[in-house]
Amino acid sequence: MKTFYAFFKKEQLEMLRTGRLLVLIILFALFGIMNPAIAKLTPWMLQSLSGSMAESGIIITNIAVNALTSWTQFYKNLPIALLIFVLMTSAIFTAEYQKGTLVLVLTKGLKRTKILAAKALTLLVVWTGLYYLCYFITLGYTAFYWDNGIAQHVGLAAGLYLLFGIWVLSVMVLCSAPASANTGVLLGTGGAVLAVYLLGLLPNVAPYLPLYLTQSMSLLTGTLAPGAMARAAGVTVGLIAANTAAAVLLFQKRSL
Amino acid sequence: MDILELKHVQKRFGSLSVLEDVSFRVPEHTLFGFVGQNGAGKTTTMKMILGLLQMDGGAVTVNGEPVRYGQTAANRFVGYLPDVPEFYSFMTPDEYLRFCGEISGMPARAIAPRAGELLTLVGLAGEKRRIRGFSRGMKQRLGIAQALLNRPRLLICDEPTSALDPIGRKEILDILVNAKEQTTVVFSTHILSDVERICDEIAFLHHGKIVLQGTLEEVKQHHHSAGFEVELEYPRDAQRLLAAFPDAKQLTRSHLLFTQDEQAEAVMRLLLDSHIPIRRMEKREPTLESLFMEVAGQ
Repeated sequence: MKTFYAFFKKEQLEMLRTGRLLVLIILFALFGIMNPAIAKLTPWMLQSLSGSMAESGIIITNIAVNALTSWTQFYKNLPIALLIFVLMTSAIFTAEYQKGTLVLVLTKGLKRTKILAAKALTLLVVWTGLYYLCYFITLGYTAFYWDNGIAQHVGLAAGLYLLFGIWVLSVMVLCSAPASANTGVLLGTGGAVLAVYLLGLLPNVAPYLPLYLTQSMSLLTGTLAPGAMARAAGVTVGLIAANTAAAVLLFQKRSL
Repeated sequence: MDILELKHVQKRFGSLSVLEDVSFRVPEHTLFGFVGQNGAGKTTTMKMILGLLQMDGGAVTVNGEPVRYGQTAANRFVGYLPDVPEFYSFMTPDEYLRFCGEISGMPARAIAPRAGELLTLVGLAGEKRRIRGFSRGMKQRLGIAQALLNRPRLLICDEPTSALDPIGRKEILDILVNAKEQTTVVFSTHILSDVERICDEIAFLHHGKIVLQGTLEEVKQHHHSAGFEVELEYPRDAQRLLAAFPDAKQLTRSHLLFTQDEQAEAVMRLLLDSHIPIRRMEKREPTLESLFMEVAGQ
């Protein structure tokens, strides 16, 4: 356990000293502020455009902005935030393969499973932390300006999207075990998301897929009941476990 | 007792057979030189000892424990210095050694003093810069420090001197000689003078096989002698000897080389009978270089 913690600590130090963590914190905080800010500014922006829009025949009358507008922005921006997170952390394994830094670590007798676990846990902790940083900033401003009461299951919707992100990260870890460069990791992860998206076009399959968890606005507006998400959530948790187990097996067999 | 044993180790990359049959033993407290040309498979062999590469056949034991690929339990006896050691460049040398101590499960109290001791040994004490800005020689010295950290029973160094200038090389060789008191050292090289300078035992790797092995003396004896030399007092006598022994070679005006040992008696008889004065007559010691060339078939 002590040896695991030592490697886990090294991962945190690396995130910190390479400046990656700071950049991510700033970006996620900015996203968090932007979501309610854009919602708040929408009426004003449209007002300033109304003159020219009236000329082309569009008349803006009454623009209703509420908590849901803010949350719409949140869920629109989340894929971009997740993409940035994946891009910035996709080399967490491959950079070490390429530099050869793991060779010395392994020859010190540290078990491969501990290396993988420390890296996976780092991804999980940092992603969850950043996600909730963004979430609570949006939540705070939204509650301050509007009435959050009109949105249903706010916390649950956010938690399910978080779970989708964790699934993406588990795919990333799985791709990292055999890959030699982070382009392979990115292609593999992108391919998996695309595959899930294409499968989701089949109406019978869609409710079982991780991507189903990203229909957060339907939960907030009440179009979907929380129970409808149960199957997708269960499958996603199963897939995360399977991805991690497969990653462990592949990582054990990898030559370094 | 043998700290390291390789039995019929084989390795191929695709259709290319790198190691056909490699067997050798390393007794405790020896300085073992692992010699071979570039690309002979020295690094491959070392990586298999460390469980970093899969063997296609054979077995390796370290301190009596079998090495299994991917499982690095036997590595707790081993300190390893790769040919180009790579560290986490965002750490300082002291932080890196502490990190190494922690992941190898050293007791927390022991880590800081040992790290300080080793940094002094390799001349990096008080270095507060991060590893990012280190020179090749500094990295090599830090590499030795990390390899010795947990007082390994076996220290494996992959071409530790190859990329260094003469001063850097001497420093590393001195450290290895000192390390022999506490541990067993196996180091690979293609620099034969390093081997002659410090090694107790050597093994030559060539075309995937150990072609020559033993103590330095044994290896040299094993091979037929390289002949003998005669240095004459007067150059004019050289022609008389050359006339009697046409296959002798004239190195300088008064300096002759006889490649066949059997001729020694006849040469001496001629020298005596003809009253030819000489300065010296000497058996030629085979150098590792000549052995290496012979073994490599060149």
